[in-house]
Amino acid sequence: MIGVGKIKQYSNVLDKPVSKGKQEVSLMDNIAELERRLEDAGYTVGARVLELLCHREKGNRRETRLLGILSFVHSTVWKVLFGKVADSLEKGTEHEDEYMISERELLVNRFISIPKDMGTFNCGAFVAGIVRGVLDSAGFPAVVTAHFVPIEGLLRPRTTILIKFAEEVLRREARLG
Amino acid sequence: MIVCVAVVGQQNNPLYIQSFTEADDALKLHHIVHCSLDVVDERVNNPKKSGPMLNETFLGLLYPTENYKVYGFLTNTKVKFILVTTDLDVRDADVRNFFRKFHAAYVDAVSNPFHVPGKKITSKTFAERVSNIVKSFGMGSTG
Repeated sequence: MIGVGKIKQYSNVLDKPVSKGKQEVSLMDNIAELERRLEDAGYTVGARVLELLCHREKGNRRETRLLGILSFVHSTVWKVLFGKVADSLEKGTEHEDEYMISERELLVNRFISIPKDMGTFNCGAFVAGIVRGVLDSAGFPAVVTAHFVPIEGLLRPRTTILIKFAEEVLRREARLG
Repeated sequence: MIVCVAVVGQQNNPLYIQSFTEADDALKLHHIVHCSLDVVDERVNNPKKSGPMLNETFLGLLYPTENYKVYGFLTNTKVKFILVTTDLDVRDADVRNFFRKFHAAYVDAVSNPFHVPGKKITSKTFAERVSNIVKSFGMGSTG
């Protein structure tokens, strides 16, 4: 006979009790994993954006200098992706190899609110991945991260993309003079 | 007459090689393309010795061999395009035009989200566009 068995059959599927999740999910792992995956997704975008922009906008020139590629990211890439240039580009004061691109309202963070238990998760990791893709494909390996910087007077914190260049980039830059 | 075009990746790995004559040995063409990579590297790594602007994308005539001329083009992502031709009087503007169209086809092929950078380009559309560009190169310089 149909329906006879160990499992109780419910006439209405809505009556079935909802099963409770049995395992504990560690949030610390998930945040780092999520940020890494967002960044990887951004990396593939960045590599392609660089190729496309060089063909469309740059004409016949390649960027070989550090400041050149940084201002390219700061203005051209931002304009193509977000419709406007980034708010500011600063050189870090503590270390020679650190630069920061700041944005008051990063597009990816604008309409996403982070739940309290996600802690310091920043969706700007996607944009950090894009910047890393552009820099890496152009021959400037770097570690790029996104941070929130609370500013007095502003309700929401400013987002800063921190770029830390690898040793070989600085050495090459010093060699080129 | 264009004999062969090649796209070479950042680590000098071949991404796309296509020859357009049956007469010549494919291996010989591969060898010519490979040798021209050395010339590209030399131009890129010795900025002071080469003289002209080091951040040009079009590298120009790399070196003439017995009956071939080899032209090079370097993109911003260190991907190189190599063109091997048997024409004796090729105009600079023609080659630049060729590389511009070739770059457009390459950008379209790479923008494919399923394309893995560093792997060979397997898109049939890219192959078709490249053959069209090669055919029109022949027309442009003779007409």
